[in-house]
Amino acid sequence: MIYRIIQKRKFFLSISGVLIAAAIFALVTWGLNFGVDFRGGSLLEAKFNAYQPEISDIQASLAEADINNLTVQPTEDGTFMIRFKDASDEKHKAVVKQLKDLAQNSGQEGASFEELSFDSVGPSIGKELKSKSFNASFIVLIMIILYISWSFRKVSRPISSWKYGVAAIIALAHDVIITLGAFAAFGHFFQIEINTPFIAAILTVLGYSVSDSIVVFDRIRENLPKSKENFEDTINFSINQTLSRSLSTSFSSMLALMAILIFGGSTIQDFALALLIGIFIGTYSSIFVASPILVVWHKLMRKGAKS
Amino acid sequence: MAFSKKFSQLSLKARTSWILGLVAIFTLAVFLIAGGNYYNSFAYNLAKKTNDTIVLPQIKEIPFNLGLDLQGGTQLVYEADMTNIAEADRAEAMESARDIIERRVNAFGVSEPLVQANKGLSGEFRLIVELAGIKDVEEAIKMIGETPILEFKEQNLDLINTLSQEISLEEEDIKIETEGDENVEVVTDEAESLPAPEITEDDLWQDTGLTGKYLKRATLQFNPNDSTPEVSIQFNEEGDKLFAEITDRNVGRPVAIFLDGYIISAPTVNEKIVGGQALISGQFNIDEAKDLVKRLNSGALPVPISLVSQKTVQASLGMESINDSLMAGLIGLLLVSIFMVLVYRFPGLLSVVSLTVYGLTMLAIFKVIPVVVALVLVFVMIALIFYSFHEIKIFDSLLALMFTLIGVLLFFYAINPITLSLSGIAGLILSLGMAVDANILIFARTKEEMKKGESLSQAITDGFKRAWPSIRDGNIVVLLTCLILMFFGTSVVQGFGTTLFIGVSVSLFSAIVVTRALLLITSGKWLEKRPWLLGMKKSKIIKE
Repeated sequence: MIYRIIQKRKFFLSISGVLIAAAIFALVTWGLNFGVDFRGGSLLEAKFNAYQPEISDIQASLAEADINNLTVQPTEDGTFMIRFKDASDEKHKAVVKQLKDLAQNSGQEGASFEELSFDSVGPSIGKELKSKSFNASFIVLIMIILYISWSFRKVSRPISSWKYGVAAIIALAHDVIITLGAFAAFGHFFQIEINTPFIAAILTVLGYSVSDSIVVFDRIRENLPKSKENFEDTINFSINQTLSRSLSTSFSSMLALMAILIFGGSTIQDFALALLIGIFIGTYSSIFVASPILVVWHKLMRKGAKS
Repeated sequence: MAFSKKFSQLSLKARTSWILGLVAIFTLAVFLIAGGNYYNSFAYNLAKKTNDTIVLPQIKEIPFNLGLDLQGGTQLVYEADMTNIAEADRAEAMESARDIIERRVNAFGVSEPLVQANKGLSGEFRLIVELAGIKDVEEAIKMIGETPILEFKEQNLDLINTLSQEISLEEEDIKIETEGDENVEVVTDEAESLPAPEITEDDLWQDTGLTGKYLKRATLQFNPNDSTPEVSIQFNEEGDKLFAEITDRNVGRPVAIFLDGYIISAPTVNEKIVGGQALISGQFNIDEAKDLVKRLNSGALPVPISLVSQKTVQASLGMESINDSLMAGLIGLLLVSIFMVLVYRFPGLLSVVSLTVYGLTMLAIFKVIPVVVALVLVFVMIALIFYSFHEIKIFDSLLALMFTLIGVLLFFYAINPITLSLSGIAGLILSLGMAVDANILIFARTKEEMKKGESLSQAITDGFKRAWPSIRDGNIVVLLTCLILMFFGTSVVQGFGTTLFIGVSVSLFSAIVVTRALLLITSGKWLEKRPWLLGMKKSKIIKE
């Protein structure tokens, strides 16, 4: 049984096109909902007298004040460093009120809350991290193209080996843009925010996407020299041969991520969600985008050569 | 040589048992490193139950190096002195101070510090620095270091003119020839002998506005004449302009370079300098010069900062969240194992064993391994990889180079602490995915070879050979990406790159050595007679 994937490439590439358009629309209209790591926020140092609440107590009590990006950190002095994104006076008052109530309702004799300090804090992601990450990503892209061109140098017919590199990069851009777009939408509708772990998630998607595309290209590399069929059919055959591996690998990774999404702590759930979407899209692109692009490119060149 | 000859004469099974023996010892070692506490309590209980007849030696327990989010650490609050900075430039100065502190902490290894600029209600500027795992505050303060404030100063001509001509000339001669500290001494000596008001080093020099802020890069070089170490300083565009102006108006006079308020050298300007390079050629030794270069490159702070408070903080994620996440990770692993066994049957079961070796090795690397142990372990790993490639007959010099490099880096990270944080865990998940993937690729290829009618052991060898190019290319691209993230990224990005690099390297070991050896040792007639164990239909295997 051979699936006609390359033959139906227009359909699959259209789906990708629509998704990318939607992602760009989401990114332009809503933008990414950056959290406290990127934007900074407030830092309140709290002290409880005659009462020592758990981190979870404070989190639960502040959830009622509708606070974003809350982190609660106990210190050795028994105080709590409470960080959150909102910096408005109104939210500050709401937080103080919640904490006072928490102390009062604790049932401890003479329990009270004391605000030691309230400051605004800058982002923990600096300019340098941003510019360095940007530069690093650029070097990574160039390196991927160079390595693939070198590694695929023996299959420069009918299309030159560097085009495999470019196709892998296009698939990668496809995955990253759609994942970012999904988070722009999540940020808008579900208030999911982008913080430091998200950077790591995107980098993971990047690595996953390229290695996924390479597995399919590797089969094409192996089949092309000995194939009696034309370029299009050879590629389609190669995709079919690697199909079960692609699905097995992404399914097992997604199983692990699902477990984290369902059972994991709240802090890494967003992170698992980003990976889940990225890996799903990455698998789709390695099958339905990366290789079809090679065929489309090949056809365009032949057309250009004829006319 | 005699041994290797004898070894190659052994049967494939016998050779594989040797390999598996080594793998077993390796696994025991990494287990003892990763789970030392479990072993110790087991040994304790065993001794108790058997009334001290079986007494196993206790081993040293090494704790994990967890990140700030998972473990907490030390919080330092610095206050910045903004008196010399214009109101408008203050926010920017804080921003660059933040980046510099972060760079400085990162220079000591992967530790993912949290550094935040903070503006208090009364308008004071503060820097909050949180360092993972360091419960020793002194160490943390030392890590951030004193503030290297680099300044270029020119002579205060008004003051010098008021001094007697003779003395000031003498001074200049000394300044040109001698090093900073002596120079200061001479100046003070002269000043004391004078009836004029006391003159200090500060009075003699005035600010030029050129500071470490305009530094682009400092490099260590050697004087071509007497090969003494020198520090070459390159300015950025703005600094270049300032430096040209300063040298222009000070031709024939010294310009002093101050570090942290102390004069370190005062070379005489021979001509106007354009092109933004200055040379510090005090009489320092190589180590001092290297140290200076490192400090200058990590950035001179644009503002002086002073420590105002220090305290220990606990994990921001909370124990509950960590336990939940660990539990989720375990459930995930279990699901993946079940999936592998269901789809790939017997080989799937073997891959679960090799993934366990992978997991234990990863956990061990996150602890600080004693140097000798680390050396032996990494050597065994790389040697086994080399040998497996040799058996599959795809070993070449490029592979040798690649895995030697991997070995060196693995050794480095095994003896140096790596901080495990959330982004590190992300790297782990991806590398786990890649470890599973390598196994899947190998099994799929082996099955294909069997369908062509090959015997099981031949199919395993050929399956490896065929799966290798795609495993290699996928992994090399990821490894190269990691190297770039490790060397060009900062903080989280760097941490992610490092864990992923280690994970992918170890996953290659588990696939190439462990899975292969397990497949070879268990393959045989019993398995060929039961194709369902390989996930194949009987008819698919062509009868010999």
